[in-house]
Order: sequence, then C-alpha cells, then structure tokens
Amino acid sequence: MKVSVNERGMVSRISDSAMRATYQAGNWMKLGLFGIRNGPVATLADLKKYPWMRNIFQSGKLLHTMTGTRTGPYAKANAIVISDIVTSILDMIRDMKKNPDTLVLHEDLVPPEILYGMGLTPWMTEFLGLALPLVNNTSMEPYIDAAENDGIPPDICSLVKSTIGLVLRNELPKPRAIVSSNMPCDGGMSSYTLIEKQLGVPIFRLDIPFDFYNERAITYFVGELKRMIAWLEETTPGRMDWDRMREVCEERNRFVELEVELWDLVRQKPAPMAGEPIYLSHLIYGICNPGRQRGTRMMERVIECAKELQKKGAGAIPNEKYRVVLWNPPTVVFPDLFVWAEQAYGVSMVMDMLTYNRHPFIDTSSPDSMLRGMAQVIMQGPMARHTRGPAENFFGDLFNLYEQFDLDMIWMAGHIGCKNTQALNGMLREKCRERNIPLLIIDYDLSDTRVVSPDDIRRQIEQFMETVMKAERLDGKGAGND
Amino acid sequence: MEKEQGMTDYYGGCDIGSATGKAVILDATGAIVASVIIDREIDPQETAILSLDKACAEVDGLDGCASLTYMIGTGYGRNEVPGANENVSEITCHATGAHHCNNGIRTIIDIGGQDVKAISVNDDGTVREFAMNDKCAAGTGRFFEAMARTFKMSLEEFSELSLRARKPIPVTAQCSVFAETEVISLLAKKHAPEEVAAGIQVAVAKRVFSLTRRVGLQPLATLTGGCAKNAGLVKALEKLLREKIVPLSINPQLMGALGAAIIARRKGSNSKKVRPERHYVKLISSE
Repeated sequence: MKVSVNERGMVSRISDSAMRATYQAGNWMKLGLFGIRNGPVATLADLKKYPWMRNIFQSGKLLHTMTGTRTGPYAKANAIVISDIVTSILDMIRDMKKNPDTLVLHEDLVPPEILYGMGLTPWMTEFLGLALPLVNNTSMEPYIDAAENDGIPPDICSLVKSTIGLVLRNELPKPRAIVSSNMPCDGGMSSYTLIEKQLGVPIFRLDIPFDFYNERAITYFVGELKRMIAWLEETTPGRMDWDRMREVCEERNRFVELEVELWDLVRQKPAPMAGEPIYLSHLIYGICNPGRQRGTRMMERVIECAKELQKKGAGAIPNEKYRVVLWNPPTVVFPDLFVWAEQAYGVSMVMDMLTYNRHPFIDTSSPDSMLRGMAQVIMQGPMARHTRGPAENFFGDLFNLYEQFDLDMIWMAGHIGCKNTQALNGMLREKCRERNIPLLIIDYDLSDTRVVSPDDIRRQIEQFMETVMKAERLDGKGAGND
Repeated sequence: MEKEQGMTDYYGGCDIGSATGKAVILDATGAIVASVIIDREIDPQETAILSLDKACAEVDGLDGCASLTYMIGTGYGRNEVPGANENVSEITCHATGAHHCNNGIRTIIDIGGQDVKAISVNDDGTVREFAMNDKCAAGTGRFFEAMARTFKMSLEEFSELSLRARKPIPVTAQCSVFAETEVISLLAKKHAPEEVAAGIQVAVAKRVFSLTRRVGLQPLATLTGGCAKNAGLVKALEKLLREKIVPLSINPQLMGALGAAIIARRKGSNSKKVRPERHYVKLISSE
C-alpha cells in the first residue's frame, strides 16, 4: 500500500506530538516523584526557602519552546536534553538537601570531578544564574536588583550580580566550604569575597596561572590542585578516593569521546544536529555535572538521533541555509533564539564557545596524571583561555572552528557586562574583516532582559541577516513582524 | 489592481523615519520624477500616506500611489507603509541610494532623527558591515534639535554659527541631557556661542568617529540623513576622520527613500508583480 506525502506528514506530526507528550509526562512525573520523596510539607518549606525552585515547575514551557515547532529526531534530541536538565536540577537539589555536611560551593572553573572523587557534593555557584533564565527569562531580576540595592555596581556582569543576589537573599544552600579561583573575570573572582563573608564558611582560592603553555605552569597548577585537595580534606569530611576519581574521569572521557563524535557528525552539511542538543548538553554534563553516567547515556541518545537524520541525508533543520557559531556565553534569556532563527532564515547553530574546547582526555593511569589532565582541561578550557589572554587564544579557537565546521558567519553574543570580551570586540571586527567573515555582535545581557529584550536581540539579527547576509525570510514574515 | 496597457511604470520608495517621512518616485528609466520630505505625524502610517500622496501628486499621469508598479517601505516605520510590496532595512536602502549617487562610495554615515549608523559598502553597493547606535540620543538629529533650542535658533542658524568658531570649546556630550546642562552653563559663563556650538559639533563627530572606526573607514565616505545638511558637523567630521565627506548629488536626507525606490524598480521590472491594493487603506481624506 502506498502512503501519500500528506499521510506521511500526518503520521510524523502524530508521532512528534506523542513524543512531546511522553517527555512532558515524564518531566511531570519526575517533579511529582521529587515532591513525594521529599515529602509535601518539606517541599512547601523548600519552595518558601528557595523561591527560585518554583521556576523548575515551568520546565514544561521550555520543553514546548524547544520541541513545539521542531520535528522528528531533532525534536526528540531536544526533548532528551530538556528532560536531563530537569533530572539534573532535581538531583542537585536532592543531593544538596541529603548531604549538607559534604556540600561544597564551587566556582564554574573549579573542576567538580575532584569534588566527586572526594565524595563531596558539589554545587556550582553560578549554576542557577545560567539555568533558571532558560525556563523563565526574568527569574534572575529580583536577585540582580537585590545585589544592586546592596551596593554592587550595576555595570558588572549580571551573572555575578545574580549569584550575589541569591547569596544576599539567603537562597543558596549553606555549604561546608567554598572553592573558587582567579578566573574567569575580576567581577566573578571578587564576588567570592562577598559570598565568603555572607555565608561565613571557609574558602579556598585556586591560583590558575595565566601563561599556561609550558610545563612550569602545569606543574604549578597540579600543585595548586593538590593543595586544594589537602585543604578540603582538612575542612570537610571528604577524602580523596583515587579509584572513585578514576571512575569519574573515565566517565568524563567517555562523554568527551561521544561529544567529539557528535562534532564530526555536525561538520556534515546539512548538520544532522544543531542548537540546544549541542550546547545545553555540554552545559549540563560537560561543565556542571561532568563524569556522570547519565550524561554519557544522554549523549548516546542525542547521537542516535543525529545518526538517524544522517542516514536519511537530512539536516536537523529541514532547510539549512546558514551555519553559525555562537561565541561567548549563550543567550539564555532568549532560549528560543535558535528555534526562531532556524525557521526565519534556516540558521543552524552547530557550535558555541562553551562547548568547543580543547578537550584533552584525562590520562587515568595515576593520580598525578589525572591531576595533570584536569589542570590542562581547566587552563585550556573555554572562558579561562579566552578571557585572560593572550587575545590569540580567543581568535585562534574561533577561526579554527569556523574552518572546521564550514561556517557561514559568526554571531558574537556581546554580553554587555563582560568587560573582557567587550574589549576584544574591536579586534574581532578587524580580524573578521581581514578574513572576509560576516560577523554579528549581538548586544545583550546574559541574565537581564531589561537591558536588551529578546525582541531587540531578534531585531539586531534581522538587520544583520537582511543587510549583510542578504537572507530571505523563510517563514514569510517581514522583519519586525514576528 | 491590474495596470492598463500603455500606462507608464512608476516605482516608489517610502522612508518613514522618527522625525520625517520621505518618498521618492522613479519612472521606468530610473529618473526621479518626484520626491518629498514631510515632518512626521504621530501615526507612522499617516506619515507614509501623506508623503506618498504628496509625491504622487507631483507626477502627471500617476493616479495615486495605488498605481505604483512596485513600492518598498523602509525606515523605522517600514512595516507601516500601506500598500508596500515589501519592506527593506534602511541600512540596505541608504547603501543603495548613496551608491546610486556615487558608485565610489564605500563608507556611509547616516545620522537620522533617532539613531546613527556607519555602513561599509561593497563595490556593488551592497552592505558589507554596519554598526549602529540606537540606544542613546547623543549624536542624533534629536540631539541637534535640542541644542539648537538651547541657542534659540533654527538648525540652519546653529550650523552656520558653529562654522564661525575659531577655537571650539570642548563639550562632553556623552549624554544629551548632560550636554544640554553643560551647554547652558557654558553660555551662562559668557563663552562665545559660536565656540560652544562648534564644541557640540566636535563632540558629536567624536561619537560618530568611533562608530565609523568599528566598520573600518574606507574612502569615499559620505554623510546621509537629515544631519548631512549640518555643515558644521561635516567640517568637524572631516577633521576627525581625516577624510573628505563627499557630498551627494541628491538631497542626502532622501537616500533611504531613493534606495527603496531603486530596489522597487529592480524588483518591479523583473517580476512585474502587481501591488496588493487591498493593503492600501486610506486613513485620511484627500480634501
């Protein structure tokens, strides 16, 4: 029996709707189970103590945003990633509540692998500021206001202000200890002095060398990591278990291997995967929760979706016209940016700054080799190598991936509060001009839509796509008519 | 509406800015047959209709703007131009218009009522790169209007006054509100008005200079938008940029509308597409 195109379309629509409903139900079930296991009274008390938790109940909106108009395996990959974000956040809350004695707040460039290896419960201090705007893009505004009202200069990074606001409003769990570093920026670094004073817990500051392309720097930093482990053993109940650390690092290596496989897939034209399954998956399991089996499973499933599309010779988005990298931290206050850009102009976001890094695999043969690998991951990872110079690190990575992924343009997420990258924009313009690479610098603020609204971001992109890329709208809408 | 046989084709461009509405009509050969600049009304759609009606009235044999073969809207109110076949960004239109006037132009500085843009243009008149300041009033036409008001002068008088200065007095002009306060204070201190006026021109030129640097200044450079008529600003810009500002053969304030009309002619003569008359809603009676 022959199946007509219309019938096939209807079948795939039904199948997409069923998939969305399944994941939506799954997410609600996770939230429900969390409430039951935590106990209704305790959950209500938690919601009162940590009002930001209410945003997690809006995760259904995020799932709808990311999958509502996307189809087939691409929609499924998005649903998988969103579902894992929900699980990750709920697990973090559960662990934080279950293990207050081993809870350690860590700055985003301090490797949580070591904390896992020590049997500690890591909580990335900046995590909420990055994750919550994805489900509710105004969620950080009360915290930003709290920080500014307490005298924090309004022109510093809003992620820093969000974190400080959470601390000032006593909405971060009180940890046993804090570990921070001298990265990635002065604002972030200095915020830990306030966090330390406000929470009244001991802090350890990792000294990450600036000039890291030499043996001396690696040896020095390995020494710093050892000093941190010794300090944590003294300050917390955590004890380094090198076998556990090896398991974490090996799991991390498996995730990285899969991630590199995904990169190979998206280098093809059209890219069989794009957008959130690339950058959000790395954000959760490459940065916030590395070395987790769940992360590896998630990445396997994302790759399965990509391969399914690849077999058909199809792209993640049905009409890939342009391939782009999003450089700098993602525009979390405009989570549906790429949902819109895909439909409006056929833009496939195949890579971003936080995801793309040197990824040295960690040699797990000995404790020293693990620390050495860890040291290289941090020093040569995104942000650290990009924002502390030399500028060649920033440009080298960007232009390297421009070639590798056969991109058509660069979108620089010009976070207004990031002084380090703002300072590089002039040079970036000149270098792109020399190479004839179309560059869009998007004015936006990482956590505050009151500075630049999603509509304004969209308007900037429309102007660029229309005037520089000479792009036709694929959705039949005129500029400004969304 | 089907066009009757034998009727000449006309193409329209309508640029709805924050301060004025501009319309240009080209005939089939590409010659400008009508152009108007009017002050804006509160409703951008009304501004569009008034400017188009006025332009059409200048063309014999053109029975209102519904008879245009193809029309393009541009400017901040580009979505509000009734009957436009499509709308195009003002950046593209200014580039097209200026390139039409002088195909050697590679850098355009457009100073409009509410924003300032620097546009880098390819050999074929398409946009290579652009940078804009639409967040701050300092350096825009509105700023000059406020400054002229402080001097109790028209814009033309203010411009002429600044040209008479020998030693401009530095004015901060990082913010139009503070600049106005600063200017009032300088005038109260009995500084020569022409030198304060020239200081204002230099301050604005500095802001424009940094914006232009972002896209990379390439000769020939020109100035478009209403502020292009400000000779004092042109002089200050030339000094800072160390580059001559090439005057255009057509009123630079019309560049957006002209560019839109040129694009309309290109598209209209290719497609012979009939304009969607149903979109043309006459909001005001033609008395």
